[in-house]
Amino acid sequence: MPILSLIIFAPLLGALGIAFLPSSRPSLVRFAALGISLITFALSLGMLLGIRGQSGEFAFSEQLSWIPSFGITYHLGVDGLSSALVVLTTLLSWICILASFGPIQTRVKEYFISFLILETGMLGVFLSLDLFLFYIFWEIVLVPMYLIIGIWGGADRIYATIKFVLYTLVGSLLMLVAILATAFSHQAATGSWTGAFDLLALRGTITDPTLQILGFAAFALAFAIKVPMFPFHTWLPDAHVQAPTAGSVILAGVLLKLGGYGFIRFAIPLFPDGAHLFAPLMIALSVIAIIYGALVAIVQTDLKKLIAYSSVSHMGFVTLGIFTFNQQGVDGAILQMLNHGLITSGLFLLVGIGYERTHDREIAKMGGWAVRTPVYAALFGFFLFASVGLPGLSGFAGEFLVLLGAFIANPMVAGASTLVMILAAVYLLYMYQRVFTGPLSPFLKGLGAKLTDVTPTEILTLAPLATLIVIFGVMPTLLTSSFAKSVETFLMSAISTVGQ
Amino acid sequence: MSNELLTLAPLITVIVGAIAVLISDMVTPNRNHAPVAVALAALGATAALLISQGGSSASALGGSYVAGPFVAYLGLLGISIVAITLLIAPAYLAARNYPTAELAAILLFALAGAIILGAATDLVTLFVGLELMVIPGYVLAGYAKRDPLSTEGAVKYFLLGSFSSAILLFGIVVLWGAAGTASLNGIATALASGNASAGLAVALALITTGSAFKIAAVPFHYWTPDAYQGSPTPITGYLSVGPKVGAFVLLIKLFVIALAPLAALWIPVMVVLAAATMTLGNLVALTQSNVKRMLAYSSIAHTGYLMVGIVAAGAGEAAGVAGVLFYAAAYAFMNLGAFAFLTALQDRPGATTQLSDLAGLGRKHPRMAILAAIFLLSLTGIPPTAGFFAKTYVILAAVQAGGPATILAVIAVLNAAIAAFYYLRVIVYLFMRDPAEPAVQVAEGPMLRAGLLIAAIGTVALGLAPTPIIEAVIQALAT
Repeated sequence: MPILSLIIFAPLLGALGIAFLPSSRPSLVRFAALGISLITFALSLGMLLGIRGQSGEFAFSEQLSWIPSFGITYHLGVDGLSSALVVLTTLLSWICILASFGPIQTRVKEYFISFLILETGMLGVFLSLDLFLFYIFWEIVLVPMYLIIGIWGGADRIYATIKFVLYTLVGSLLMLVAILATAFSHQAATGSWTGAFDLLALRGTITDPTLQILGFAAFALAFAIKVPMFPFHTWLPDAHVQAPTAGSVILAGVLLKLGGYGFIRFAIPLFPDGAHLFAPLMIALSVIAIIYGALVAIVQTDLKKLIAYSSVSHMGFVTLGIFTFNQQGVDGAILQMLNHGLITSGLFLLVGIGYERTHDREIAKMGGWAVRTPVYAALFGFFLFASVGLPGLSGFAGEFLVLLGAFIANPMVAGASTLVMILAAVYLLYMYQRVFTGPLSPFLKGLGAKLTDVTPTEILTLAPLATLIVIFGVMPTLLTSSFAKSVETFLMSAISTVGQ
Repeated sequence: MSNELLTLAPLITVIVGAIAVLISDMVTPNRNHAPVAVALAALGATAALLISQGGSSASALGGSYVAGPFVAYLGLLGISIVAITLLIAPAYLAARNYPTAELAAILLFALAGAIILGAATDLVTLFVGLELMVIPGYVLAGYAKRDPLSTEGAVKYFLLGSFSSAILLFGIVVLWGAAGTASLNGIATALASGNASAGLAVALALITTGSAFKIAAVPFHYWTPDAYQGSPTPITGYLSVGPKVGAFVLLIKLFVIALAPLAALWIPVMVVLAAATMTLGNLVALTQSNVKRMLAYSSIAHTGYLMVGIVAAGAGEAAGVAGVLFYAAAYAFMNLGAFAFLTALQDRPGATTQLSDLAGLGRKHPRMAILAAIFLLSLTGIPPTAGFFAKTYVILAAVQAGGPATILAVIAVLNAAIAAFYYLRVIVYLFMRDPAEPAVQVAEGPMLRAGLLIAAIGTVALGLAPTPIIEAVIQALAT
């Protein structure tokens, strides 16, 4: 059974089905979308269970000829790394759809269609093993996200969404040139197009030093914009602030991971020499992102923007870990990706829940929220401490391993980054103090009875995330063991053929 | 003799069809559907003949006309272009009291020119085909004869088109003299063995200038925005696709075949022209607030992308020509689709195509807006659409060719990002703005709907399953 194709195309087929539902019955559309995303989630869990029984680097491989003239195939496969990200995607997708029930009241049908197409695109990126196929899914992700921010976003949504698309497009188009150049170099070397776009066939065969450098630069630019690394991060705060809650969640939870995944799966294994050449620069940019993101977060006055900048800082750990090229660093980077996906998604959901009641995110207007809504405040506090990196919650393990890896590679870098753990505590706790503690602010008081506590549905969206944060906080080896083989292969393929 | 007639059969069918259209209009005047039906029947018959001729190549007219897969591909592409135009135009023309029969006849004559152009193996036949293809264009540009804008555009198009034809003809004559033969392959052989001469340099300069006018490459593009904006919208759609594809066939014949030995001389020129064409076309399109004019400038940018394929072909990559041919098909479907969409918006005389007119269309006419979005995304080059694969194809060829072509490939993709801005801005208006007051009307007759649907199917199919067209293109170039 082609389970990977099923997982990728279940949301798309569902979206097509929803297109035929009447717009006049929004609740039918909502539950249909939820059902489809739950089916996809169940399928991905089935894949996760079945993966242990499979041998080889990639499980459930599917390969069909698609454009034979250029050796382009429909090639899917899943390993420990991608399976974890796939499940994160399917989990966050249904959470986001459930969380959109209340906030999205206009053009409901179009919204859920966009969201399900977005899910297909993201899953396709994680499961493609053919560069061309990967690129197509990579670009498909852009369109629904563009619509979600642009139609259902805030006041400045159009500026934000166009900025998001243009930034991403510039990077990805150069990556396309690099993909084509890579394929052609394979064709020139072997005299045939067979396998010219196949990741597994290409890995370790690119010897041309110019292609190594330029190819890596083009791929890295595309992924760096997506992560986003300093100085390509400026689209992120705008997009986050303007996007609807579910858009922010999926942006932080999955879309940013596409960048980190791209580095681990494509850029570095294909171009190890280029990667090693650029590694010092990438590490420097990562450290800048970690420190800069944290510093800028301190001075933010908008809740969502603060969390957006904290994402820049947290994602800096991901790229830092990847470019240490040692097991601790890469383990940590992947953990950090997954944990950031859980924690920051929770924080964005919580900010959205608050916004539903106050229609404001201005930190200065808040204060004493805990007095009126203790459960909300407690949940916020839980995710916040996870984000700070409190031991016992999942955020800690990833950052710790990245720092360990960085220490092995370069103690100076590790030292500088460790300091930021303190900064993270500063900006998050300072924010929490201003928003939730003390006497109730006049603004919140003015809302009166509208300031209600979280509803059971909202708890339902947060509970799975909170549970996983605790489980992976106590037992991070559950995750690290599941992708241990992926990391091993990555480290093998990341060995530079020159120097070292 | 009978064999020769068989070889020429598609061409003859088109011309007979054109005459039949005129006769049908004389017999039943003021019946708009009859001439269109006759024309579509002629197109169908021509398509059947081209398909039956298929892969085998045969020559006629003393070897100056060679039918084969290349002609079949171009002929079928031309038939698609004319058919879609004929489907979308009648309602628009009828609403403004313009005749339909003349349009059908003129388009068929132009198609005959395109077939000759594709089949030509010598300079004279090539030029005859070119003129037969472009002169109908001048007539079409002035189709709205009571509209001063249309007349202005037609006059500009005609004057500059005639000048450029003259320049091209001078170049062709000098080339003939320098090479001592009019045969395209003969010229290539003669040039490969001979030395460069002053006459050859003059010929190259004149031919480059004349061709650049025909494809509307910057800085020889000034006639396009006016001619395109002034013409009735469905005709603009045809003008931005048909003559452009034909002009690129001219480029393939003249540069890639005849002047191939001089590639080292013309490639640098072509690189500069291509870079300037796409960059300027896109930058000016950015500033337009009228969608029709924006599409006119964006068609200039697409000329630039197509030239990337010509450059790659000049550098010896067969994939370059294949890329141009694939791009031509993709461009035909997506651009005609975009113009069909604009046509649907202009159901009554005086309806404008300002960006603001499109505001909120996605809410009022979701199906129409989604089709428009597909065409726009394809023009941007977002997968999985025809436009994406077309761009990929020419860029792949350029990357293979290496050298300056690779730099051109990078310039092309950066341009695609610029283009994304203005194409997506239309989508912003369609889906992200509140409806305009008064809301724009949409006319969706059955014929227009068929035209839109064909264009949409082409746009999506060429992106999802490009293999049949790739194989057709490769076969077209095999001989």
